[in-house]
Amino acid sequence: MPIPSDEGWIDRFVDRLPETRLFKLVASWILVPLWARLTPVKPLPGGPHPSFQHGDNVQCMMNLIMPLKDKSPVGRALAALAIAQNKEAIFAGLNNVGTVHFARFVIVGDNICMFSVYDGDFTNYIRDFIATIGSVFNAVVELVEGGEEVIPCEDNVEAFIQWVHERDLYQVPDTATDFLRDQEALNGDRAVSPVNDDLTLLPRKLVLQLRANPNVSLGSGYRAYPGFSVAQVRKHLGVGW
Amino acid sequence: MSAMFDLAELQGNILRGYTKKPHVRYLILEVADRSAARRWLASSVSGRGDGVPQITTGDWGPNKPDTCFNIGLTYEGLRALGTPSASLEMFPNEFVEGMTARALKLGDVGPSAPENWPAPFNEPKRIHLIATIYAEKVEQLNEVQERALYDREALTLLGTREGYNFPGDFVHFGYRDNITQPRFEEIHDPDRYPDRQPRAPLGTVLLGHPTNLEGLTWRVPLPAELGHNGTFNAFRVLKQDVAGFEEYLDRAASDLLKHPQVDELLQPGDEEKIGKGLSRRAALREIVAANLCGRWRDGTPLALSADAPDPKADLTDFDYVGVGDSRCPHGAHIRRCNPRGGQIVQRIANNSRRLVRRGVPYGPPYDPAKRDRDEPEPERGLLGNFIGASLGAQFEAMSCDWLNLGLQDPRITGSNDPISGANDPVTSWFDLPLKSGGTIRLRGLPRFVLTRGGAYTFLPSLSAIRFLGSL
Ligand code: HEM
Repeated sequence: MPIPSDEGWIDRFVDRLPETRLFKLVASWILVPLWARLTPVKPLPGGPHPSFQHGDNVQCMMNLIMPLKDKSPVGRALAALAIAQNKEAIFAGLNNVGTVHFARFVIVGDNICMFSVYDGDFTNYIRDFIATIGSVFNAVVELVEGGEEVIPCEDNVEAFIQWVHERDLYQVPDTATDFLRDQEALNGDRAVSPVNDDLTLLPRKLVLQLRANPNVSLGSGYRAYPGFSVAQVRKHLGVGW
Repeated sequence: MSAMFDLAELQGNILRGYTKKPHVRYLILEVADRSAARRWLASSVSGRGDGVPQITTGDWGPNKPDTCFNIGLTYEGLRALGTPSASLEMFPNEFVEGMTARALKLGDVGPSAPENWPAPFNEPKRIHLIATIYAEKVEQLNEVQERALYDREALTLLGTREGYNFPGDFVHFGYRDNITQPRFEEIHDPDRYPDRQPRAPLGTVLLGHPTNLEGLTWRVPLPAELGHNGTFNAFRVLKQDVAGFEEYLDRAASDLLKHPQVDELLQPGDEEKIGKGLSRRAALREIVAANLCGRWRDGTPLALSADAPDPKADLTDFDYVGVGDSRCPHGAHIRRCNPRGGQIVQRIANNSRRLVRRGVPYGPPYDPAKRDRDEPEPERGLLGNFIGASLGAQFEAMSCDWLNLGLQDPRITGSNDPISGANDPVTSWFDLPLKSGGTIRLRGLPRFVLTRGGAYTFLPSLSAIRFLGSL
C-alpha cells in the first residue's frame, strides 16, 4: 500500500517520471529543469568521502575532467603532446611523491581527464606534486578552460589545489542512505524536499543531483583486496619504496 | 636574537618560548562591538603602558618585559572586525573553515569530536580572538587580564584556560618536552646548540618568505601589512589520561616479561642502566615509554642512546639517517612528527612540515599515591600551540598522513601515533624494534589524549594589528 504523504502534485508526478517514454521526454526537457528551479540542488564536492578509517585513506580515487580550451583535433593533439613530452617528469614525480599508485591521462570528448589512485590526504598529494613536477601541471592546465588563473601552480598553491578539487568528480556513495547523507550535509536537512527520508523517492533526488553534477564517479572505486599504500605494495614486492 | 628583518614587527611568541614565565593563561574572546574592538587592537600596539596590555614583540630591547601578551584571531574574528572581503578571501581554506570543520583530518573523532567539546569551544563561531598572557606569578596574570578586559564594550570573555610549565620542562606522561624547535635561516640565535637538521627557511613560520618546498610560496593575504610576516596557529586543548598511560605501561611490561624475546629488549642484569634500583618490570615500563616517544623520559633521544637514558647524550644533535631500524621505532611520536633526514615515502616532504611548538601543561601533576580510584581524576593535559605558515601543509599534513595514517613508512602504515593518536585498543598496534632486526608487537593501546577544544588562529604581525585597529 502506498504510504500516505503530504507531497504536492508535482512531486507525485515527478516520482512516476522514469516509467513511461513520453514522460521521460517531457521530463528531461521541461519538468526536470522546472522542478530543479523549484528545488535548487547544489553540486556536491568531489573526491572520496572524508573518513577516519585507515582503509578508506589509501588507494583513493581522483577523477579530474578538464574541458580543453581548443575543442578541435588540434587542441586534442596539443594535449596528447603535453603528456608525451612530460613522460619522464611524470615518472620522476611518481617516484618522489611516493603516494600515487597509478596516474592515467585520457581524452574524452573535448576534455582532458586525469584519473589517479593515491594514498592519504588529497591536498598533500597535489601539493607534493606541485613541488615535484609543477611544470607538468602547468603544461596541461594551460590548455584547459580557466587554467590560466591558477598557473604557474608553484605561485598559486592554495588556489591551484582548490581548482583541482573543484574539478574532481563527486563520488556517488555506494549505498542509498549515504546518498541522502551527502545532500543533507551540504544543504541542511530540508534542502531537497520536506519528504526526505523515503528511499523509494531516491531516483528523483538522483535526477536532480545528476543535473547539478553531470559527471560523477559511481561509487568510490571497487577494490578486489583491502587497501594498501603504494609503499606497502612496493615493499612487499621487494622493489624498494 | 637578531634577524635580517625587524623583529619588532613580529609577535614575540612566534620565535621565543618565554621560558622564564611559567604561568600561562588563554583568554578566549568574542568581539562585542566592532569599533571598540578595533580601538582595543590599536591601543595594544600604541606603546602606552597604562591601558590595554601591550603586545609583546620579538624585539625586547634592553628590558625584559615582566609579562608577555600576544593575540591570535580566528577567521570569524577577522570578519567580526570588518576586514574587507577581498582580504578575507585570500586566507587559506582550512583557516576559513576553522578547526572544527577539519575534525576528520585531525583525528578529532569519537570522544574527541568537536560536538563533545566543552564551552567555550562548543560555539566555535563565537571565538574571535585568543589572547595569551605569560607571567612569573598568577597575580600578574590577573592584573593583565583585568587590563585586557577593562573595556567591556570591546571584547566579551567566553572562557579561559590556564597552564603552568612544570620545572625542568616536563609534561604529563613524565617526558621532558620543549626540546626541539626549528631554527631559522636569517635569524641569529644566541642560544647556540648543535642541531643536525638543516636550518628552516623563514617561510616555515612567516608568510611572505621562501618555504621548505623549493619554489613554492604560500598566498599572502593582502594588503601586505595584513598578511606579510603573519603566521597561523593551531591551538589545541589536549586532555591526557596519565593514569591510563601508566596502566598501559604496566600491562605492556607484564606482557613483555612473558615474551620469549624479552632479553633482546633488556639483557638480564641491565635494569640498573635504565634507572637506579629498578625492577625488571619497572625497567621494561621505561623501555616501552621511551619507544612510544622516541626519547627517554629525561629527553635522551633513542637515536643516540637506544639502550638507556644518557645524561651526556646531546638532546638535539641527531638524525635518523644511518640509524639502524633497531634504535628508534619508525612509529615513535617524535619520529612520526619529524622524520628528519630519514627515509620516508614522501621523499620531498622531509623537513617540509616542521612546526614551532609552544605547549604548556594544565591541571595538577599526576600522583599515583594520591589516586582515588572511586573519584574521577582531575582533568589535566597540554595546551598546545602548533605554529606554521601553512596549517594545511604543516599541521594538518602532519596530523592526518603522519600521526594518524602512518603513510610515511610502510612498516607503520595503518597505525596511529602511540601517544597522541586516536587509537582504538581493538585494532591499535605498535612495534618495538629488536637488535636482531625483528620486532615485538604491542597491542591494545587506548587513546591517551583527547581533544577538548581548540581553534585555528592567525597570528598577525604588528603592522597587521595596526591595520586592523585602523579599519
Ligand atoms: C598531549 C599530546 C602530546 C604530547 C604529550 C607530546 C609530547 C611530546 C614530547 C615529549 C616530545 C619530545 C620533546 C621535543 O622533541 O621537544 C614531542 C615532540 C614533538 N611533538 Fe608532540 N606531543 C603531543 C602532541 C603532539 C601533536 C598533536 C603534534 C602535532 C600535530 C606534535 C608534534 C610534535 C613535534 C613536531 C615534535 C618534535 C619532533 C622533532 O622535531 O624531533 N605533538 N612531543
